Amino acid sequence: MIYNIVHSLLREAENLNAYGLFSFFLFFGFFIGVIIWAFALKQNHLDKMGGLPLDGGECRDKSPDQIQS
Amino acid sequence: MNTNIETFKYDNRIVRAFAIATVVWGIVGMLVGLLAAVQLFFPEANLNLQFITFGRIRPLHTNAVIFAFVGNGMFMGIYYSLQRLCKARMFSDWLSWFNFWGWQSIIVSAALTLPLGFTTSKEYAELEWPIDIAIAVVWVAFAVNLFGTIVKRREKHMYVAIWFYIATVVTIAVLHITNSMEMPWSWLKSYSMYAGVQDALVQWWYGHNAVAFFLTTPYLGLMYYFLPKAANRPVFSYRLSIIHFWALVFLYIWAGPHHLLYSALPDWAQSLGMVFSLMLIAPSWGGMLNGLLTLRGAWDKVRQDPMLKFMVIAVTAYGMSTLEGPLLSIKTVNSLSHYTDWTIAHVHVGAMGWNGFLTFSMLYYLFPRLYNTKLWSVKLANYHFWIALLGMMFYAIPIYIAGVTEGLMWKQFNKDGFLQYPNFLETILQVVPMFKLRAIGGTLYIVGTFMMAWNLYKTAKSGVFEPDTEAQAAPMEKAPVVSGKTAFHRMLEGKPLFFTVLAAVAVLVGGLVEIIPMFLVQANVPTIASVHPYTPLEVLGRDIYIREGCLGCHSQMIRPFRSETERYGEYSKAGEFVYDHPFLWGSERKGPDLAREGGRYPDAWHYNHLDDPRSTSPGSIMPRYSWLLTQKMETDSLPARLNALRKIGVPYPAGFENGPAQKNLSAQADKVVANLKQGSVKADADKEIIALIAYLQRLGTDIKSATVTTAAK
Repeated sequence: MIYNIVHSLLREAENLNAYGLFSFFLFFGFFIGVIIWAFALKQNHLDKMGGLPLDGGECRDKSPDQIQS
Repeated sequence: MNTNIETFKYDNRIVRAFAIATVVWGIVGMLVGLLAAVQLFFPEANLNLQFITFGRIRPLHTNAVIFAFVGNGMFMGIYYSLQRLCKARMFSDWLSWFNFWGWQSIIVSAALTLPLGFTTSKEYAELEWPIDIAIAVVWVAFAVNLFGTIVKRREKHMYVAIWFYIATVVTIAVLHITNSMEMPWSWLKSYSMYAGVQDALVQWWYGHNAVAFFLTTPYLGLMYYFLPKAANRPVFSYRLSIIHFWALVFLYIWAGPHHLLYSALPDWAQSLGMVFSLMLIAPSWGGMLNGLLTLRGAWDKVRQDPMLKFMVIAVTAYGMSTLEGPLLSIKTVNSLSHYTDWTIAHVHVGAMGWNGFLTFSMLYYLFPRLYNTKLWSVKLANYHFWIALLGMMFYAIPIYIAGVTEGLMWKQFNKDGFLQYPNFLETILQVVPMFKLRAIGGTLYIVGTFMMAWNLYKTAKSGVFEPDTEAQAAPMEKAPVVSGKTAFHRMLEGKPLFFTVLAAVAVLVGGLVEIIPMFLVQANVPTIASVHPYTPLEVLGRDIYIREGCLGCHSQMIRPFRSETERYGEYSKAGEFVYDHPFLWGSERKGPDLAREGGRYPDAWHYNHLDDPRSTSPGSIMPRYSWLLTQKMETDSLPARLNALRKIGVPYPAGFENGPAQKNLSAQADKVVANLKQGSVKADADKEIIALIAYLQRLGTDIKSATVTTAAK
């Protein structure tokens, strides 16, 4: 079944000409580049970046519990 | 480390203003949607008023919920989160308020002009040229304010939410300006600079990316800010959010042509749109999983906190929509779904679930904080959650059923090889019960929104508004020189201008690869010798067709399927539309396609049908257009219209508009009147219906005796 789906998709994409192939490889290269870049980043830097929304710098911080319940 | 701590204040007034506008316009936009939905099974609900008839209020609904509800919600969230992520007040309070009042003025202009029939007809870009200019000005003010705040920030690193905001600002500016290139012929009317196939490609490049960069990327930024805030824990994987951002902004722009599959658009562009749409699943689901996994270990909070409940459904709806969208882009699936209500169901899962629920979630988060109090009633918010969810289900499920039913019935042949349902009306009447259920779903959703408005009002009354929030942070230090693998990333986060340029390149490369060949390669639009410009009377009729929003229900694009050619005639060719400024292919069929309508019925049939559709087609859901029988044609502007069309490439002879055009118009109008007389209909030659009949009778007739010659030959 999966083979049929893939085969069908490729058949529908057969009309891709030079523009299409150029586009596909352009994205593929870009995507691989982003993956390599993202995995090369240091974990401590990523942890720091991920924590940015939690420190808004407010003098009187309002946690969700104080507000909602 | 810098010990020089600065004290400053975040501006809450602007956030509150946008929050109130979000609630008010949300209710207005949804009520207009409900009125439109009711007219689809009870056409008399327009009270026989042209200003609230389906064709005119459908664009009002879409514009109101996209640009007024979600637009104000987007500004609300960005103005709140950007200040806190940058640890800086907005760059300019004046620009903030210019942004607010400018945006509200644009919404009011839309609410006045669309019901009056001033529309470009291009979906989600219906507003006419003076409003387009106002949108560009207000958007630039927002951009200056956003970049100004980023430049004066105290936090060295730009969090991923800010990346999404930057991509939004840049891309929407480019899309809006490119798609709004128009030639004005009066102070509120214009013709699209582009024609036919090229107009279609630019429009759907815009239309698709308005969804991408107005409804998706800013809201993803807001998700990456508000979800960690509400769950009180960082995003599951910051690394994944980086991949999500770059892959998404790079990919999204390529997928526009999936709105034009099996149309007269060149095949290579269609295939490209399909393949890139499928690839979009990867970054979209990466983002969805990143959002849901942020709640790992915090699901107990989801049970208690209505804000998180809304957030979970929002992220799930994002996942569902971004899986369904690519699947609908597969040509075989699209052949069934396109023009049907399936598309309507798909967009409403995205709009009600993703945008609506995320907006509700942000509002429940912000009001208690802005008013320094607790939410007035958590119980009422929970009721809102369940009634809105139920409303969404009651909306989506019947309309999915309607969509699939329509698609199957349109394609069904009997054993003798003839169409099983040759009368289009039969297929629509089959799904009218689904339209009724949909209206119930919409009503539930609106009831929930009213409950939220009351809850937020009571919350505000129970607290004291805090116009400014005091904050402290150290000023930004000069970035230290970093070497190694992380250097490029840190440099990118520290240099907003460089980042913006890179993001813009990533976003625009897809558009350029698709659009430039379309304009430069002549072979993409084969010319047809027998296709001629519209006559003056037909130009007036076409403008009435646009004014009434006929393309909201009638397409003008016959796809190359036997089920379509049997029903409507020869499939549409790119060369037939070279004088169509704008193109009127449409995206939805609540009535039959009109691409080959010319000559199908006598003039008198059209007259009676427009006066009262149920007199010629019993059970029809089309509204009456009785005002066309009494309103006079506006012929004074004919020279301006023809002149504008000539300027953008329609080959009317020099001086044609000064005299000959008027004679031509009168002669053709007299002919229509004579035809009507033969059908026992007495009509005056100066009425609008005469022009509309002339236009309808012209549709698709050029090609009947055509010799197709390809420019490439």
